[in-house]
Amino acid sequence: MNKHLALTSLRLTVTAALFLLLSAAGAAAAIDGISGPTFQLSASTGYVSTPDGGSYLIWGYAAEGGLAQYPGPTLIVNQGDTVRITLTNNLSVAGGGSAPNVSMFFPGQRVVVDQADRGVAGALTSEAVPGGTVTYEFVAAHPGTYTYYSGTDTALQMEMGLFGALIVRPAAGAGYAYNHPDTAFDREYLFLLSEMDPRIHQVVETQGPGGLAATNHLADYFGVLWFINGRAAPDNMMESNHPLLPHQPYNSFPRMHPGEKLLMRVIGASRDSHPFHHHGNHARIIARDGRLLESAPGAGPDLSYEVFTIQSVPGSTHDAVFTWSGKGLNWDVYGTPDAGPQYQHDCVDNDGDDFDDTTHEYCPDHYAECEDNDLDGLADDGSGERCKNGWTKTIPVVLPNQGDLVFGAWYSGSPYLGSLEPLPPGEGGLNPNGGFSFMWHSHTEKELTNFDIFPGGMMTMLIIEPHGVDIP
Amino acid sequence: MNSGLRFAWQVLFLGGVLFAAQTAGAGVLVQCPGDKNGSASWEGDEVQPPNTKCMHLSGGDGFITMADGTVQYIFGFSDLTGLPAIGPLGEDLASEVLEAGILAATFPAPPIVLDEGDEFYLTLTNVGMMMRPDLFDPHTVHYHGFPEAASIFDGLPESAIAINMGSSLTYYYKVLEPGTFMYHCHAEATEHMQTGMLGNLYVRPAQDGEVYNYQGRNYSKFAYNDGDGPTGYDVDYPIQIGSFDSRFHGASIDVQPLPFALMKDDYPMLNGRGYPDTVDPGPLPAPGENGDKESQLENALITAEPGQRVLLRISNLNVTRFYTLGTLGVPMLIVGKDAKLLRGPDGKDLYYRTNSVTVGGGESIDAILEIPPTAAPGTRYFLYTTNLNYLSNNMEEFGGMMTEIRIN
Repeated sequence: MNKHLALTSLRLTVTAALFLLLSAAGAAAAIDGISGPTFQLSASTGYVSTPDGGSYLIWGYAAEGGLAQYPGPTLIVNQGDTVRITLTNNLSVAGGGSAPNVSMFFPGQRVVVDQADRGVAGALTSEAVPGGTVTYEFVAAHPGTYTYYSGTDTALQMEMGLFGALIVRPAAGAGYAYNHPDTAFDREYLFLLSEMDPRIHQVVETQGPGGLAATNHLADYFGVLWFINGRAAPDNMMESNHPLLPHQPYNSFPRMHPGEKLLMRVIGASRDSHPFHHHGNHARIIARDGRLLESAPGAGPDLSYEVFTIQSVPGSTHDAVFTWSGKGLNWDVYGTPDAGPQYQHDCVDNDGDDFDDTTHEYCPDHYAECEDNDLDGLADDGSGERCKNGWTKTIPVVLPNQGDLVFGAWYSGSPYLGSLEPLPPGEGGLNPNGGFSFMWHSHTEKELTNFDIFPGGMMTMLIIEPHGVDIP
Repeated sequence: MNSGLRFAWQVLFLGGVLFAAQTAGAGVLVQCPGDKNGSASWEGDEVQPPNTKCMHLSGGDGFITMADGTVQYIFGFSDLTGLPAIGPLGEDLASEVLEAGILAATFPAPPIVLDEGDEFYLTLTNVGMMMRPDLFDPHTVHYHGFPEAASIFDGLPESAIAINMGSSLTYYYKVLEPGTFMYHCHAEATEHMQTGMLGNLYVRPAQDGEVYNYQGRNYSKFAYNDGDGPTGYDVDYPIQIGSFDSRFHGASIDVQPLPFALMKDDYPMLNGRGYPDTVDPGPLPAPGENGDKESQLENALITAEPGQRVLLRISNLNVTRFYTLGTLGVPMLIVGKDAKLLRGPDGKDLYYRTNSVTVGGGESIDAILEIPPTAAPGTRYFLYTTNLNYLSNNMEEFGGMMTEIRIN
């Protein structure tokens, strides 16, 4: 290969890689999923990877032409749609036994089975026999966050991975969770919580589901792996549709700017309850199980309430609006010139809402010049303001020397938003924009592990990015 | 380990910590406005600025005694507030401070009680884990639930900083809102929380001191700024749900691999004690293993007069499961959840009466017990887990997560 060609080829590769990066980022703009109202799904087998190096057989729903997914495809439809889902049973099992029937269950929807494709009758709903199909139909009458899962041998089939999320967008349009202005949001993220007992998956993989009869695993269930959107931390912070995780296409990596409203759609998708704690601020729970918390139709979420931990119980969904602005820190979140000239900035509030019109800085916390000639640490003007090196609203304490500290991978080196300061070699690095990062995690802290290895499991990081950082 | 060998370890390790502290130039640094001698309090001519509170905690290890008599190894905090870090002649008293903090871990951690609007300066000094000289764990303080947090003071080591052995880190927070919060170490959270670095934290509302009449009685203390008195109370008690896995603690002191995956708690507790220790009003006897330092200062005994309203500030910081707490004989009026008044955005009350609340790790509940005016003195009600198998202290039946509400 001549040099020119090699360079061109390299350039092409870089361009292609960049394009891939951009498109991957673009795909994260809204909640990943497939749009309806008509879906061709199948149930088939696959393998999930866990960050401890594990690999486990799953049964998962797959989009048309796709692989089995953990969780199944997030189905996104509009209020009023007549949703039609045809499920093909492509499951196969080890040991030469016959594959089980499979089905779909849609809590909160009035489902009818298409009489032309009704499969066979199961205990709870109509099922597709191995190789066969079944078609379900419902009108998405109410907007909201819902779940779906297998209605066949549910204790086993949900554990194997046959569950997913259903999102019904309101008639009010994009940017609303429900048909009321108080349900508006700027960004939305799915937090579908599940856990896994690997013993069950190992028996099914090697002996087929019949092998479970000789065990008590479905009854003495003991989860040791925990997932958000089908990935355990830190895998859930990689981009969606990562080639290393072909059966786990969805990530969980929320980002937002100060002042924005982030809609959390939280789903308890397996058998344990999880207290989902979101660092940073309270969130307002506006709906449960796809129903707005309102006292009368049209009232809006007047029965909503604020929490710092969402009690996610099996089968439930919660819609919560989270926001963060740093209001009331009593120090300048963007730093003061005391910390260096690069921290000089203005707080411009023309609309009188106390926040900077662009950056959403809380202006009462913005620094001002001050004099402290008697060196008592307070401004001489009698305002009672702290005064340090000529500036008010500096950070009120001295941080320890770097040698006395352990640094987090998401630490920017600076206590201030949007700034970076040097860290010792190898420290930090995951926070290139100087954002504030907050862990969102199960507060059953045992679940912050991957099969005995801490940290991992049911956790991710919210990044509050400073104004100006592009969040797709 | 016999006590002689253990003492030898302590001497060796104490020497090591002090030496490291000196050579690193780090040492104990308590930051508290108006406080000159590093005691995190104000004595003599020191002036406490208005709306300012300070506290000095150590992070380290120690021992407690479970209700069945078993001595358990813990990681934990202890209260060093009031102990000068600087002598009258300016001498460095870091060694005295470290010595006081070493092996002094208490369970639960010292309660933090604040008022809305306070500026709170909390200094955490990592005194090292005396019984685990192989560990170099940093520690943090995470104010669980404080609104509008900033990463630098959130105590989450992944997103900011944690403090090494022999050094201090001061957290600053302007207390914005009242309510029942909690605090814990977030460094290697699963391990440091299972082993005991947890405590009560609550904030009294600005409305305290005002008088509101509610159902015929005047109140001047409230759970929240309700504006009309329904969260008024006569006496309040923080009640923290916790539970330990004795195998995990055993593996920790024995320097064995920690059983994260198999974690299953067998010592259910309220405020760090199993019944009947929960109703012992005094500190529990100091275990010899920590050099006779009292390590269980909190109890969970609830006392009230007939007709009083009793505010229970319930939080849960166990790391393995949900617990349900029930009352017998006196219902609970739930007025708050997660440090927020249970009230809709346009003012609709969402309070409810119940005999049980289910609380997961990291959740809090404000429950008011309305003691009947007719309750006879000597009446005992019970607050206990309705997960009945947790009414035990490991192998010992009739104990665990239960306490008494005694009517004087």
